[in-house]
Amino acid sequence: MTDTIKKWGMLIDSSKCIGCHSCTVACQNQNELPPRDNFNRIEEREYGKFPNFSRRFLPVQCQHCDNPPCVKVCPVGASYKRQDGVVMVDAQKCIGCKYCLLSCPYNVRVISEEYGHVHKCNFCIEMVLKGEKPACVTTCPMGVRVFGDLNDPGGEISIALAKVSHIRLLKELNTKPSIYYVIK
Amino acid sequence: MLNDKLSRRSFLKAAGVGVAATSALSLLSFTKWRKESSEKSEVSKIPTQCQGCGANRCGIYVYVKNGRIWKIEGNPKANNNPGSVCPRGHGFIHGLYDIHRVKQPLKKTENNTFVPISWEEAFKEIAIRLNLIIMENGPQSVFWLQYPMANAALSFRFMHALGSPNTASHGSTCYVARNAAFNVTYGGLPYIDMKNSRYIIIVGRNPAAGIRLDQLTDLMYAKNNGAKVVVVDPRHSETAVLANDWLPVNPGTDLALLLAMIYVIIDENLYDREFVENNTVGFDKLQDSIVTYPPEWAEKVCHIPKDTIYRIAREFAANKPHALVHRGYHGGYGAGYINSFQTARAVAIINALAGNFERTGGLYMPLKPELGELKEGGHPSPEIPKVPKADGSGIPGRYPLGSYSDGISHAIPELALSGDLSAGFIYHTNPLRTNPNPKRVITGYRKLQLLVTIDCVMSETASISDYVLPESFFLERDDAVDTVHSLKTGQVSIVQQIVKPMFDTKPLLDILVGLSKGLGIEKYFNFTQEEANALRLKPFGITVEDLKKEGVMNVGEAWRDGFKPPKTKSGKVEIYSEKLSALNIDPLPNWIAPLTNPDPADRSSFRLLHGKQSAQTNAMTFHIPMLRQLSLRTDMIRLWINRSRAEELNIKDGDNVLIESDIGRGVMKVRVTEGLHPSCVWMPSGYGGFSKHLDNSYGVGLSYNDFLPTYFDPVVGHVMANEIIVRIKKV
Ligand code: SF4
Ligand code: SF4
Ligand code: SF4
Repeated sequence: MTDTIKKWGMLIDSSKCIGCHSCTVACQNQNELPPRDNFNRIEEREYGKFPNFSRRFLPVQCQHCDNPPCVKVCPVGASYKRQDGVVMVDAQKCIGCKYCLLSCPYNVRVISEEYGHVHKCNFCIEMVLKGEKPACVTTCPMGVRVFGDLNDPGGEISIALAKVSHIRLLKELNTKPSIYYVIK
Repeated sequence: MLNDKLSRRSFLKAAGVGVAATSALSLLSFTKWRKESSEKSEVSKIPTQCQGCGANRCGIYVYVKNGRIWKIEGNPKANNNPGSVCPRGHGFIHGLYDIHRVKQPLKKTENNTFVPISWEEAFKEIAIRLNLIIMENGPQSVFWLQYPMANAALSFRFMHALGSPNTASHGSTCYVARNAAFNVTYGGLPYIDMKNSRYIIIVGRNPAAGIRLDQLTDLMYAKNNGAKVVVVDPRHSETAVLANDWLPVNPGTDLALLLAMIYVIIDENLYDREFVENNTVGFDKLQDSIVTYPPEWAEKVCHIPKDTIYRIAREFAANKPHALVHRGYHGGYGAGYINSFQTARAVAIINALAGNFERTGGLYMPLKPELGELKEGGHPSPEIPKVPKADGSGIPGRYPLGSYSDGISHAIPELALSGDLSAGFIYHTNPLRTNPNPKRVITGYRKLQLLVTIDCVMSETASISDYVLPESFFLERDDAVDTVHSLKTGQVSIVQQIVKPMFDTKPLLDILVGLSKGLGIEKYFNFTQEEANALRLKPFGITVEDLKKEGVMNVGEAWRDGFKPPKTKSGKVEIYSEKLSALNIDPLPNWIAPLTNPDPADRSSFRLLHGKQSAQTNAMTFHIPMLRQLSLRTDMIRLWINRSRAEELNIKDGDNVLIESDIGRGVMKVRVTEGLHPSCVWMPSGYGGFSKHLDNSYGVGLSYNDFLPTYFDPVVGHVMANEIIVRIKKV
């Protein structure tokens, strides 16, 4: 598999998520974020009326779109997409203009007071290139998140995707995210 | 982060650029610097145990980057947390660099401020004062209150050497009713094999927010295999998110629901006949008494429709023996209501009816590796003092089923006022915030002639202590070998030093050694932690070095399916308890109504419930910026109220309400929800700090303890933490 191009992706099964925020804090540590900056938020919804009631949690982070609006609007080329599908911010180039924050329909980009530049989920690319899993994946006690190479038909994520019906968030915007969701 | 921030500031300063006027140029230079630092970084990975909640002590790997703690990961071998870490754990490591840390021993002055004092002076002064107190009032006037951790054995040793039996944990505010009920029924506290269960009923326990990681991975594993999960809770808890059925029980009536389920299981002959005949005592008496509790009766009490009760009872029984009712913890019946002890008894008994004891997918006694003894190395153990415990735990006529090691922590203020206790040590717990009615607690603790707190920050309790002795943070010290991970395999584990202490702090053992000299008990503390740990590990043929390399290691034979006689007097599961009968406690669970109830005529009257959130541990983590921000960002610090009740009172989501009980009042923002029984409001715990020293937590949120009158249940003396009635009003 080494010479084919990889395409990193994630499958998030929101029906298993208990909203514990372990992923959020693990991510903050991994990326050395200040307490206020986070790449990974958990949305919560309520359904029904007492006593026929349920709730769901939905983890949302950079969707690593194949058609990323943030990359298009960046005036200095600080936001870019790697060949393996990961959307990145080059902190050295970023001038903090916030165009990308406004253009991202998922509201997952953060301008850091501490660091001055924009940052966001980078799929823990440093770890992934070393053959490890992203921090949010390993810490999740519920196995909500499956990460892997979408181009590898025998890989964990392709197998998982084949087994469940899944969606992508805000599909109508044609952003083509690399994150897939199970929403039951 | 702090270092990053500081380095950046100083870098910018050196470059002649103000922080406020950050220009692109300075940003470029800064990020270049950061990049270089990350490229050159040296990373090491060392195993230890997490202390973010004190209770679970998960096995973790700590990553150190350029000498600074970077991140942690779960140790996949650790039974309590196979490979994962909870948010508190991730956040708690930043406690090492927290600005609130106590950096050297402190002594309180006349005008209630604190001045630094050397360790030697502190040891000397404390010993002199303690010796005088012991001379005047006897050693039993000294108490030690702690969170139960691996080091607990050291504090028992210290207290026993002094001659006092008065050690206590926070248990009376947490889990003692449950423990006592399982002790009576099974001779100990079994664990739950949810992983292999087909049908799991969880009553008032929420492992998804009062996090216990193995239980979460087990639940998910079982669910993926098709198991059914039923959550009984007045609130739609985070565990209820995973449930097939959420039963929003009327608060305080879980016992009625359980009795009705037992009724169905017996009436319809659905119990495990063979197990009951061979391995239990007193089933016939239960058969006679249960006839008064059909689901038709229970539905009026517990608000769960009778058809649902029939269905759940039948489904549970159909899956036996791979069916279980979770053993519970604090919520529901740990220390909640006047009926909590009997509720826990009913939980214990319904499991026996499913014949699931020591069976796969049921309850089992966790393995208990016997650590080696210090006396083997020539370190004598002090005798256990013969005097009775001042709080009356374990004493017939007082709190007959109270446990020796847990004691009754919230009795200490009264015992201080009555003069029974004169001096105390507080180790990593905080009774001023975690006990009911803080005013009473403060009055009691102030009466003590000597109060010494051992902690890492100035908790509420530290703030009124005579001396504050800073223990090294867990990442800076070695602790005693632990067996907390022992479940289906026995495991030993260890907290080990990852970085050198940043300040003038000491590990507990060194503090005890220091104190022991002036108290004439130094012969009991003539060892180092390293020597003691080597002795503790000796029976397993493991060296301290081995354990420090692995963090967690298996010892002994693994658990095997198959009945083993419980350690009760009869050697069987005691459905009917002679022991209880002899103590004049109902030997079978029968319905007992909660002590208090909201006033049905007053639409502003509610029961106040409380529970944990994943972001915080008790009152000990909110000052840590990363965890504090998490609670604030997600707007977690709100009082839950049922929508229809809120509408009646003209309260909207996000409004502030005034909460008043007989003993306290306070204002809090509300979350209006459909996911809560209409008769109660629900308050998250972990907030309401009032230590002026923890300035970023002071006055944020409230604690249920601000509203809870002081109770002692008659069986174990627990707090009855859910017997709170409050009035709610929009402000
Ligand atoms: S993949 Fe990494 S950077 Fe992205 S949310 Fe997860 S932990 Fe954070
Ligand atoms: S760690 Fe897992 S369960 Fe917890 S919030 Fe994140 S995705 Fe959800
Ligand atoms: S449950 Fe969380 S805080 Fe407690 S020991 Fe485990 S990781 Fe640490």
